[in-house]
Amino acid sequence: MSDLHKLPDELQLATAAHVKYIQGLDTKKDQYEYWLTEHLRMNGLYWGLTALHLLRHPDALPRDETIDFVLSCQHENGGFGAAPGHDAHMLSTVSAVQILALVDGLDELDRRGKGKATTGKFMADLQNPETGTFAGDEWGEEDTRFLYGALNALSLLGLLNLVDLDKAVEHIVACANFDGGYGLTPGAESHSGQIFTCLAALTIAGRMDTVDVDKLGRWLSERQLPNGGLNGRPEKDEDVCYSWWVLSSLAMIDRIHWIDRDALIKFILRCQDTELGGISDRPGNMVDVWHTLFGLTGLSHLGYPGLDTIDPVYCLPKSTLDRVLGTQR
Amino acid sequence: MASAGGSHGIARTARRRTDEQRQQDLDRIAKYRGLEDQIREQAKAHDYASPALFDLTTRLLRLNPEYYTTAAWVMALEGVAEYISERHYETAFRRLLALVLGCDPARPKVPATYEEWAEWYNNHDESTKILEDAGAGRNSKNVANDASVLQSELAFTIPLLIEFPKCYWIWNHRSYILSLCIELLPVSLAREVWTAELGLVTKMLTKDRRNFHAWSYRRRVVARLESDVLDGKSMAEQEFMYTTKMVNQDLSNFSAWHNRSQLAPRVLDERKADHVARKVFMEAELNLAREALNVGPDDQSLWYYHQFLMSQILPEYKCGARSWSRIAPDLTLEERTDYVKREIEEIRDLLEDYKDVKWIYEALLEYSIALDGMCKDKGTTRPKQELTEEAQTWLETLRQLDPLRKGRWDDFAQTG
Repeated sequence: MSDLHKLPDELQLATAAHVKYIQGLDTKKDQYEYWLTEHLRMNGLYWGLTALHLLRHPDALPRDETIDFVLSCQHENGGFGAAPGHDAHMLSTVSAVQILALVDGLDELDRRGKGKATTGKFMADLQNPETGTFAGDEWGEEDTRFLYGALNALSLLGLLNLVDLDKAVEHIVACANFDGGYGLTPGAESHSGQIFTCLAALTIAGRMDTVDVDKLGRWLSERQLPNGGLNGRPEKDEDVCYSWWVLSSLAMIDRIHWIDRDALIKFILRCQDTELGGISDRPGNMVDVWHTLFGLTGLSHLGYPGLDTIDPVYCLPKSTLDRVLGTQR
Repeated sequence: MASAGGSHGIARTARRRTDEQRQQDLDRIAKYRGLEDQIREQAKAHDYASPALFDLTTRLLRLNPEYYTTAAWVMALEGVAEYISERHYETAFRRLLALVLGCDPARPKVPATYEEWAEWYNNHDESTKILEDAGAGRNSKNVANDASVLQSELAFTIPLLIEFPKCYWIWNHRSYILSLCIELLPVSLAREVWTAELGLVTKMLTKDRRNFHAWSYRRRVVARLESDVLDGKSMAEQEFMYTTKMVNQDLSNFSAWHNRSQLAPRVLDERKADHVARKVFMEAELNLAREALNVGPDDQSLWYYHQFLMSQILPEYKCGARSWSRIAPDLTLEERTDYVKREIEEIRDLLEDYKDVKWIYEALLEYSIALDGMCKDKGTTRPKQELTEEAQTWLETLRQLDPLRKGRWDDFAQTG
């Protein structure tokens, strides 16, 4: 990163603008889009809050209101909906647990919520005992995203014992391909998003021994394109979100140095809206909180100055995990 | 971490709205939230069969198919369940179709009346049998009604899928309706529906050749069509031919190559291919990959398929204790060595026309090191060793051609 200080102003991290952008997300109630995305409210809060923590502005959203909102979305069965009145779902439950971990509020589950045990049971019950996979809700399709999400949140709650880890690992191994990557299901082509969820789940389960590190590292490193950005699969376009999926995967197998850091940093910085804040998928496109978080996690993985360290497995600041899980991990 | 929530590929525009635009937004919000409120109100009565509720959820889903909660998809789903073998479809479903399909030019032709349905399936050879198979307590009119309801609901999702091809909930709902077809319709009619579904996937893959959800979905649809519940048999040969067609149209289609790699071992097993036949097959595939590489040596898709074929030959490709080798698992070490040698020579020939394609050097390095290991170690593990002089020059060229991955080449130089 030797030449980073020589970058022009528009290629510096616009921290203040990003903080303001995230703070402003919940004031857009007069915009149609705000209501159309209500089913992502819990996820959005998690994305925004994690981004603020990385930007070292952890108090930019009020803690009490955050906890109140999260708890207002919990159902009797322990699961969380995306917003009050929305059904409980695995993804919003995982986000809820992550948010509470971020603000040091996991104990509020027992104090004011339905309890850690009930929350954990909601997720554990979504495991298919035959195949080891997880569903998203009582109706939903199974997907390694849910498997990973469940392992992530259950380990934060200290309740991994509720699920059959061996079966879950068995399923992930069945999704592996000859190129070292993982697909959506057994037999599906390797995809960076699935590789991330599978590797992170394997890390939590303590089974990285099943990974073909060299082949996977090679495949992942080929995701970097001449413009510095990363793509998700061969012969596809770059996108800032792969600064999370690909880079975290490389981090978990200790191969981040197999891509060009400076080139990726510049690509991510070019995707900023330096005036109004936020980061987009590609330079010049509409920003959103999802790409904002994953641009920042990418920069954090690359050691960009002024950002807190992100954990490649949990997508939470390392300091949060040290507090919740202890430093001996 | 959660599902994709971002906006992709939408140009950044000024975020300030005019007063008029703001008012328009407010009107839309009022309408949208009004719908939500009405649905929640109606849902309290748990009368999911009410045509009014069904109508409301349909309108909400038109506005926002990502709406996953009970109030929408799940109710639409329960709504459908209520209509199965009921006579309400004349009212609720016609209204639904008018609402949803009436505005979409891409809509499929949905029969409008019972007579049209009867005609639709009278055109099928086995129609008489279908009516006889309808079983105890289920007369032909009920079956026709079920078919009508289910077909309408499948049609409901099509314009939504065209607009929101990656929306998980639409696919989920569609899968549920398709599973109901198997449960409720006579086998031959259900098979018709599922065959039409394969046609839909084919159409989608014509529009977006790399959509991995669509490829995954294709494998699922095929698996159902092959299964006993639909009186099916293996479609491996036919699907293998489909991948041939797809890669002939566009060599740079990794998804098609990938599916081909999955189907190849099955095709050989089903042909009961002996060792010789398997070798012939392997050689034909290697030729196909190499001919394609001659045209497009920059194409990663082709190199991955070539690598897949080599993974069937090189002993170092393993997943845990499991070997990937399924195309010709009984190759002798000598046969394997001969293949690798020939591939190295063929790839080396590419250098005559293409001097600055990094993939060529990468392949040469990988395969020549693997070959050394096979010669010295009888096909088990590769001993650490010095690179040959020629391999050194390939590595040097790679460093120059591929500076982005400098760290990888540094590690490579150290560990071999």
